Amino acid sequence: MAEAPSHSEKLKSWDRMKVEGFSKKAPVTTPYPFTDIEKPPEFRGIPHINPEKCIGCGACVQACPPDALIMEWDKEHGVKRLTYNAARCIRCARCIEVCPTGAMEPTTRFEIATDNKEDLVEVVEHKLAYCEECGEYLDFTERQIEYVRNILPKEIFDAYALEDRIKLTQEEKMRRTVVKLRELESNVYPAFMLVEKGKEKKGGEE
Amino acid sequence: MGRLKSVWVYHVDAGSCNGCDIEVLDVLSPYYDIERLGVKVVPTPRHADVLFITGPLTRQTRIALKKAYEAMPPKPRIVVAIGTCASSGGIFYNSYALYNTSPQRGRDRLRSGGPEMIVPIDMYIPGCPPSPEEILYGVAQLLGIKEKKMKGEYWIALPPGEKSGKENEIEFTIPDRPIPVRYWLTLREELRRVVGYYDRDAVLNDFIELVGKAFESDDPRERLHDLVTGYFLKEKDSRVKVAMRFLENEFWRLVDEYREWGEALKRKYPVTAGV
Repeated sequence: MAEAPSHSEKLKSWDRMKVEGFSKKAPVTTPYPFTDIEKPPEFRGIPHINPEKCIGCGACVQACPPDALIMEWDKEHGVKRLTYNAARCIRCARCIEVCPTGAMEPTTRFEIATDNKEDLVEVVEHKLAYCEECGEYLDFTERQIEYVRNILPKEIFDAYALEDRIKLTQEEKMRRTVVKLRELESNVYPAFMLVEKGKEKKGGEE
Repeated sequence: MGRLKSVWVYHVDAGSCNGCDIEVLDVLSPYYDIERLGVKVVPTPRHADVLFITGPLTRQTRIALKKAYEAMPPKPRIVVAIGTCASSGGIFYNSYALYNTSPQRGRDRLRSGGPEMIVPIDMYIPGCPPSPEEILYGVAQLLGIKEKKMKGEYWIALPPGEKSGKENEIEFTIPDRPIPVRYWLTLREELRRVVGYYDRDAVLNDFIELVGKAFESDDPRERLHDLVTGYFLKEKDSRVKVAMRFLENEFWRLVDEYREWGEALKRKYPVTAGV
């Protein structure tokens, strides 16, 4: 039974002599441009965006030092586009480090020279979530909201009633809070809200 | 393969940090030996067919580059941009010291910047610095030995639940793992303190496989300890060993912590009516 080699064994198994395919007697000049070779597994090639996993959160855009990754906003049409250009990329792998879904994948690709810069562009277009109360698009994509539903346990969603508010814009959330507080003015306060209010008054102007 | 023609090259430094210049020296060394392709570095642009440019084009080098380009013989006049800086301005693209006349200051989709502001460029070789093989590939492509492999990509990421109709529409999937996403994310962030980004995913994948096996038995805590010890004895890389031990401790700490948080939440809001 052949077991799959472990991670550290895979790293050690790369051999320049074998990959470049010349005899061990005279390893002077690489036959490279006339043959096909592979780089070692830890070589930092250009990263690649996996559109299956990408949620469009923009963590990589924040982390990218030379702005090889830029988010293009188009709120009128309800899309945002994550654009990556290998011509600006310095292979620092910060995007791979911060990606919360593992959508940024390291590759060992090195044959990227081109005569047209458009070949180096990679775009992922995301659809923004839509707030039906106020008829505007949110800053978040629908994939982001789905991912949050997967991260947080059910109890937290129930305790904070997040399911009702998750697809609202910031303004709509604030408006709802104000309406709710005004309703409470005329009502009897629940016990936990009385305690909160008392604390506020001590520190406040009264 | 047909007969190759020799190209004579003049190398211009347009304000580079010398990383790319050293890689250009590397491809001239006996190991990579670009001279067997007929490339020869000449001391004056008047003899050159090809201009190698490195660097992001500072204000000081702009006139020098323009003069070197105009001094070349008019017929082939091929320009090769070597390095990320020469391809697009690189990390310096919005610096005050650079000559960049692009209307969006280098933030458009093509990331314009660098020597392409004043001379037309025939071959971009990005990389910071590009490894000698990358430069060899670029020159080989100019000579017709190799073919272009890169292609621009445009994906449309579909929202969860929708089915794809076209080729570039991609459905959303969250990979199936034996532990919840919340644990996976936290462990991944904690693991960054122990091993780097590269080994992190491989080590974490091995660990969550073990966790999946451990939770099949009655006493997962004991079973996981046995499994990790078994892994520990087989693995030769000491960094991976340390990371596995760290992950085991961290995982049980997280399990306890999240259970406490859940209980605290229930104590605070006994009736879940919404706040």
